[in-house]
Amino acid sequence: MTSLRIFLSKLRGLFLKRRLDQEMQDEINAHLEMQIEDHLRQGMSLEEARYLALRKFGGVEQFKETHRDRRSLSSVETLLRDLNYGFRMLRRSPGVTAVAVLSLALGIGANTALFSVVDAVLLKTLPVEDPERLLVFEWQAGRPYRVSGMSGTSNVEGPPGTRSLSLFRYDVFEKLHRAQDTTPESPLSDLFAFAPLPELTAKLGDQAEIIDGQAVSGNYFDGLRLTPTLGRAITAEDDRPGAAPVVVLSYQLWQDRFDANPNVIGQQLKLNQQSLTIIGVTPRGFNGTLQVGYQPAVTVPLSIEPLLRGDNSNLATATSPGVWWLNVMGRLKPGATEEQVRQTLNGAFQTAALEAMPPPRKSTDPAQLAPKDYPRLIFEPGERGMLDRRKSYASTIYGLFIVVALVLLIACANLANLLLARATLRGPEISVRVAIGAGRWRLIRQLLTESLLLATLGGAVGVLFAFWGKSALVALTDNETRLLPKGVELSLNWRVLVFTVAVSFLTGVLFGFVPAWRATTSDLTTTLKQGGRATGRVSRLSKGLLVVQVALSALLLVGAGLFIRTLYNLQRVKLGFNPENLLVFRLQPERAGYKDERLLQFYQQVFDRLDHLPAVSGATFARVPLIADNNWFFNFLLPGETLETAPEHETMRQVVRENYFATMEIPFLRGREFTVQDDQHAPSVAIVNQTFQDKFFPNDDVLGKHITIDKSEFEIVGVVADTKYQRQREQNQPLLYTPWQQGVTDIGEMHFVLRTTSDPAALADQARLAVHALDSNLPITEIGTQSARAETTLGQERLYARLLSFFGVIALVLAAIGLFGVLAYSVSQRTKEIGIRMAFGAQVAQVIRLVIWQGMKLVLLGLAVSALIGYALKRLLDRQYFAPDSWQQQMAQQLYGVEVSDPLTLLAIATLLTLVALLSCWLPARRAAKVDPLVALRYE
Amino acid sequence: MADTKHEVLPGTLNLLILKTLATLGELHGYGIARRIEQVSDDLLELNQGTIYPALLKLEQMGWIRTRWSTSENNRRAKYYSLTRAGRKQLTVEEDAWRRTSAIVTRFLAPSEK
Repeated sequence: MTSLRIFLSKLRGLFLKRRLDQEMQDEINAHLEMQIEDHLRQGMSLEEARYLALRKFGGVEQFKETHRDRRSLSSVETLLRDLNYGFRMLRRSPGVTAVAVLSLALGIGANTALFSVVDAVLLKTLPVEDPERLLVFEWQAGRPYRVSGMSGTSNVEGPPGTRSLSLFRYDVFEKLHRAQDTTPESPLSDLFAFAPLPELTAKLGDQAEIIDGQAVSGNYFDGLRLTPTLGRAITAEDDRPGAAPVVVLSYQLWQDRFDANPNVIGQQLKLNQQSLTIIGVTPRGFNGTLQVGYQPAVTVPLSIEPLLRGDNSNLATATSPGVWWLNVMGRLKPGATEEQVRQTLNGAFQTAALEAMPPPRKSTDPAQLAPKDYPRLIFEPGERGMLDRRKSYASTIYGLFIVVALVLLIACANLANLLLARATLRGPEISVRVAIGAGRWRLIRQLLTESLLLATLGGAVGVLFAFWGKSALVALTDNETRLLPKGVELSLNWRVLVFTVAVSFLTGVLFGFVPAWRATTSDLTTTLKQGGRATGRVSRLSKGLLVVQVALSALLLVGAGLFIRTLYNLQRVKLGFNPENLLVFRLQPERAGYKDERLLQFYQQVFDRLDHLPAVSGATFARVPLIADNNWFFNFLLPGETLETAPEHETMRQVVRENYFATMEIPFLRGREFTVQDDQHAPSVAIVNQTFQDKFFPNDDVLGKHITIDKSEFEIVGVVADTKYQRQREQNQPLLYTPWQQGVTDIGEMHFVLRTTSDPAALADQARLAVHALDSNLPITEIGTQSARAETTLGQERLYARLLSFFGVIALVLAAIGLFGVLAYSVSQRTKEIGIRMAFGAQVAQVIRLVIWQGMKLVLLGLAVSALIGYALKRLLDRQYFAPDSWQQQMAQQLYGVEVSDPLTLLAIATLLTLVALLSCWLPARRAAKVDPLVALRYE
Repeated sequence: MADTKHEVLPGTLNLLILKTLATLGELHGYGIARRIEQVSDDLLELNQGTIYPALLKLEQMGWIRTRWSTSENNRRAKYYSLTRAGRKQLTVEEDAWRRTSAIVTRFLAPSEK
């Protein structure tokens, strides 16, 4: 209790400082006066009285000091004083402070922005109650145990020789659910399933749009403990077969498309031609539990899935040979463990799984059929939903982090140099203070406070930068790059801010500590003798820092250069067709119910309309768009082969209209093109490209040969020139074309291509209208020019080029500033020496050369260091030192047409750096040249 | 005979102040200092200034309280007085002192054969 009272009293002393100071002075005055009066009464003279009184009292100032210390929170006072002092120091050189804060802000801001990405992609947990109690169910089995069909994504790693999957079949899930329900004292309180329903056609207002959705079991919202922000959630009642179709909207969809209208409950929503009743809206910030970036706009019960997917339903084929497509999650009761769940449910799962799987092939080695290889449950933490894909983003993001951290380090190095220089200037002042008895740590603390102040300012501005940079980062996600998943929301939440504070603090300590330490180690006599002017020799530490800065900048810029060249090369790859003025879009009539004859007619109708548009000089369509990172392949057999005698061959595939090659301007080489007569009644034909011919029929003529696909025979009637198919950088692949009228089951969707004489973008509206006139329920998607599409495919390369350039330039600017600062300081210190040299006959040119060489020495050293590092990296890459899917290897593989050691790039960057460095050295050199020897010598 | 002045042992100053206030009631800082000097027959060398930090400490511990008033010669001065907790603390410190000095005295006494 007393300590509390003492603390409160000291707190009071802190705030009432001035008044208490005055009181103490009054008290002391009164004391002394009374003492003096006593002495006067004893007969002393006024002088003697006063002298004796003071002597008796003792050191007034000393007692005042002790009193002050005791009466208030001295640590807080010292801190406040340090801060005040620090502020004044910073204000004295505003230019330097501004540069320091800016460079720090850039470094810290970049780190913060990137951390917000890490947070959103890797760290953020589901906005539900107690997410740590959620478990993701997965399973593992020996290789002999297979699934007969799979739909969805699964990225689970398991020990070699096993198969791991995060997808379950519906009946297996049902049995698990029943087992969990009937177990008394089950460790789980809920067990639920869900699956994505991508690309649903929704009729929103007047337009048909494609949105993503998900199907969930009845107890999904219950299990997550999620309360809707409007209306009600899906319950087990809604999930029964035959229940009225209902749908829950996402908050985002409700805001964007329904204007947050509270009357939306009860309205009907058309999904894939089915009418569903809207019953609720999920709370804001909830984006489903699926892969990061997949945000379902609508949620429906599992029982509705067949209604929406029709023939493609996964649920309808729930049993043999059913599809494994459901994600399963469970919620642990408080105190329950994973192990308990395993014990309770593994048995049921194993039985169900073995029933659902085809029996192992007879040729299997019995050793692989031991019970330990039976299908068994495994678990992952579920607080972030389905984790699979997050892991693959992790390595890219961390790679980027390293780059950004490097930039921050460079900024810190700059500041360290700056403070080192200033510390040397204040050398004498500090040494004197140490001599009088100021604790060394006390001084270090004060100097550290200055640097922390700088770092805090830098951090605050950095948060601003990060805020603006956020939108830039989000833009980076729009290009389907594999850097960031689509649809991720980046927010500056408290985790991110804590991170910023921590980074700022560390930065401040990092660049502040060494200068502070050095400043207080200097010995008093030496510094006083030098009279405030240090020898002007730049410390080795400063030089070392500069070299490091130059090296890092060089590395970043070389990387940037390599990727810029890569982009340049890729943009000039010969595609094999004419991509100019082409508008491409995608139609998926199958989703609107078109099949067979109706489908063929529909395509013809659309074609006719589009062909007649005045702006269109040529129209055609194909199943797969080119240079769009799409592919479609299948297996086939050569003439005379059967499944027993030969392995299947693989080729890329395309389905086209008769005028495809002509419209796309793909040179036709031999044989005949498709005609209108190649329809469903005519014999199946195919056209292949040159690579196909070379690969599969190297010695024969391919014309007239028959190949077998899935037991149907196709005759090859023509050969066409090669084109790039999926990406610009690929090797030419074998490609097989079939006519659109044959194989109607494969063409549920089609990509229309229109060549226009005018601006392709203007054509887009006309195309949309044309399709809309034919069927207003059918949305047009992925509409854009072929060139734009090709550019998008280069998204990753462009990303690297941009990022490396951006950071490389920042690093270079920082290094240049650092170099300038160090040299300028050195020159200012050596004015006397320069004066002497000039007095002794040194020419201006010589002085300039002296200064420039001082700087360029370091730059060249830095370039050499970077060359060494680069060489080492190249060797490591060549020797496959890095794992194949590591970000280092991936980045290296992104290069096209350039080697990591490309001499042209290296030379260019070296030249750039040298020129910039020369400029940095030139300015201080000029100042040195202007030194007037007389003035310099006089100035002591 | 000029006896050598003894320095006030640190820690005992608290005891002296508390005792003074107990005996004389409310007193200002100068008065306390004078009293200590008098009672010790001027043998205690006391830097009068040390009184004030000690008084602050005693006040923070809640053993004395202060108020501003006018002194005998019409000066504004701060007066100190014992609180009830202070009175208790005085007894505690007195006992402690007596015990300590007894132990030390015993220590220094010639050992009994």
